Amino acid sequence: MFILRFLARRLGQGAIIIFLVSALIFTLLRVVPGDPVRLMVGGMAPDTLVEEIAAEMGLRDPIYVQFGRYMGKVLQGDLGESFVRPASGAAVGGASFDDATRGERAKVLDLIAETAPMTLQLAVLAMVFALMVGVPIGVWGGLYPGRLPDRLALYTSSLFVSLPNFWLGIVLALLLSVKLNLLPAIGYRGFSYTILPALVLAVEIAPFIIRTLTVSVAGVMGQTFIDIARVRGLSRNQIVFRHALKNSAVPLLNLLGVQFSMLLGGVLVIEFIFDYPGLGLLTINAVMQRDFPLIQGIAIVTAAVFVLINIAVDLLATAIDPRLDY
Amino acid sequence: MDRRSFLRYGALAGTALGAARINPDFFFSSAFAQESRPLVFLSAENITGNWDPTAHTTLSQTNIEGFVMGYLTRAPMRPEEPDKVVYELATEITELDAHRLQIKLREGVTFHDGKPFTAEDVKATFEYGAKLDRPKQVYPGGPETFSVETPDDHTVIVDTSKGGYGASLFIFLASYLPILSAKDVAEGPKGPLSQRLNGTGPFRFVEQRGNDTVMEAYDGYFRGAPKVTGVTFSFVGDATTRMLSLMNGQADVIERLEPEQVETLEARDDIKISRLVSVENKYLWFRCSKPPFDDWRVRKAACHAIDRSMIMEIMGSAGEASSNFVSPIKFGYIDLENYPEYNPEECQRLLAEAGYPNGEGLPELEYITSTGFYPKTKEYGELIAALLQEQGFPVTLNVMEVAAWNERLYDRPGGGPGHMVDCGWATGSPEPDLVLRTHFHSTAKRICGIVDPEIDAALDAERDAPSLEARKESLQTNLMPMLADKAPALSLFTSVLIHGMRTNVEGLFIYPDGQSDASQTTLG
Repeated sequence: MFILRFLARRLGQGAIIIFLVSALIFTLLRVVPGDPVRLMVGGMAPDTLVEEIAAEMGLRDPIYVQFGRYMGKVLQGDLGESFVRPASGAAVGGASFDDATRGERAKVLDLIAETAPMTLQLAVLAMVFALMVGVPIGVWGGLYPGRLPDRLALYTSSLFVSLPNFWLGIVLALLLSVKLNLLPAIGYRGFSYTILPALVLAVEIAPFIIRTLTVSVAGVMGQTFIDIARVRGLSRNQIVFRHALKNSAVPLLNLLGVQFSMLLGGVLVIEFIFDYPGLGLLTINAVMQRDFPLIQGIAIVTAAVFVLINIAVDLLATAIDPRLDY
Repeated sequence: MDRRSFLRYGALAGTALGAARINPDFFFSSAFAQESRPLVFLSAENITGNWDPTAHTTLSQTNIEGFVMGYLTRAPMRPEEPDKVVYELATEITELDAHRLQIKLREGVTFHDGKPFTAEDVKATFEYGAKLDRPKQVYPGGPETFSVETPDDHTVIVDTSKGGYGASLFIFLASYLPILSAKDVAEGPKGPLSQRLNGTGPFRFVEQRGNDTVMEAYDGYFRGAPKVTGVTFSFVGDATTRMLSLMNGQADVIERLEPEQVETLEARDDIKISRLVSVENKYLWFRCSKPPFDDWRVRKAACHAIDRSMIMEIMGSAGEASSNFVSPIKFGYIDLENYPEYNPEECQRLLAEAGYPNGEGLPELEYITSTGFYPKTKEYGELIAALLQEQGFPVTLNVMEVAAWNERLYDRPGGGPGHMVDCGWATGSPEPDLVLRTHFHSTAKRICGIVDPEIDAALDAERDAPSLEARKESLQTNLMPMLADKAPALSLFTSVLIHGMRTNVEGLFIYPDGQSDASQTTLG
């Protein structure tokens, strides 16, 4: 019963958040300069034609009317069609207003469904790399607060957090791909193309994992039950791995939830630099082309994923520590 | 050994054995395999999504057409021989008289869909490509101004008597519009033409996969099957990403290199650079249909405020100085004696004459330019804005990303946005009218929006000249000097097309509009 009540409450809150995000994005997109119809019809088309098509598409109605119409369709699972992309999914521009392919624009949901798994793969791999680096350094630092491992953890995370990701991306591509020919860097033609961008993203996430773990492990190790465990005759490894780590995991889990959601939005620069065909690249192109339905669709899906991940994280945290009440 | 240890060691041993069976190639090797493979070409510009060659003026898509489509002739347009024409689907072009042109066609050529290439395809292409409603209308007048006869399957006679202009105009245009299949044309602009490319060129269009245009070698190509298995033409928006792809071997050819990138790449043994004076001039377009640039004196004053030698310093190897409204490799080019040069005194004299002494009384002026596609636009845009401000023009430079700039580029009823716009214009033919008529005749006036009966008359006069020689004279002594006087735009310089390619790419011929011929290309 607890889980059902919990899910009902959190999903309800999530729906409100998604609604507010959609309303905000929808309004902002229509307020900023740049008429998508002008892009659709081509620069040479007269203003009267632009107005005619805009009126036909309902783009000159009041914003709340447009939003109501849009949300009505979203509730039926229809995120609309891209303004500019044909069904092939190519990023296009400069078409004429008499473009015969307009009838077969790509569906926003299809475009997101094609690219989201790519970004998910990138995000999961980045998270795995970040955990591989962050957990040992963070735990080690937490076990020896104020001593060398702690300082090492601090310096490492400070160094990582100071590296701009676009710079690191280019440098790593030059080093690992151009100089050493170890990894491919640009585009996607197989799993190996995910490794390099994931490494760059991992460097971005690892400092948060290291700092969170250092602090939480150090905090847990100072608690009474750890002292008692020693009295009970448990070995240090047993104390650390069976008791301390489990108790330190809750803040890390919350952090991972937030970081993972941030990753889905934070891949923009990385995917652009590596020409990685995920949600980030799709978003950048959509913004450059004023592709309103696509931007809205991505925003709604990202918001929904953010909400769902946080619900899952809270559920997991409750499972680890039943005292928590969300 | 206790039970727990046994299980632990057993699991470790199992993992070790399993790891040995994982194929590491899955993770690492595929990107650098050097087996027979397609040529990978990275483009700086996206495509339109409509494959009809008459439906767009987008360079990247024209480059794709260069691989797939066949042309009656090709124009290599090298500076030493700008008028040279290489026969492709045509084998002979003869001027029967001033208004009649006979084109003999190659036999034994087939389209990629299996249809034999005949005179009906040329007739259909000429008539369709001349329609005034086509966004890339290429022939000198609408289809009613000429007729096409097909005495047999491999002879075409173009008669321009109805239009009153010389048939020789079709000579240069023959290397501009690709030949379409009459069957496709018959189904109109909403038919198969818009859905896929169907040509007679060395590569067959397979599909558009995301941002990749996939083409494969066409075994039935009349000059023999290409040596590479195909061409993958991809849009990659970021210049650094394109360069890294070339450096790590993922790309074979990249286009539109920035001068700084050239320096980096030239230092490497595995990369070579191709530099070509292009058919593209870069222009400062004035919006001639609204004040203050509806007055030629204000336009010319602005031209005299700009020191083009300083722009050339910024452009470095990516630009070539020229003093005309077309590229030096276009038919009829001449360094114009009256081309407006930097002259602050003349600028001030013209401003005062127009009623704006020292720029007083001029409205706030917006100068629109783009960043991300053409090299150095922002840098020289800032210079031009500063030079104009120095002479009293209240100019604000507005730098936009390509999509927003593209949206504001063209003329509209009542005048396009802003007062000045930066843009280049490239057309893959020596034909100067593809620039001059397109931009300065009152029926087209794509960007500047000029309506001037004298310019119209001069354009018609050179078009109607009875021979190529007479036409050249009309261009050089009447139209071009008149344009320099009336200054509907200022051509700043001619672009130099810079491609980077891997040294193992042999036999790739690049045309000055960016199209490539990869039919003889090998990846050594």
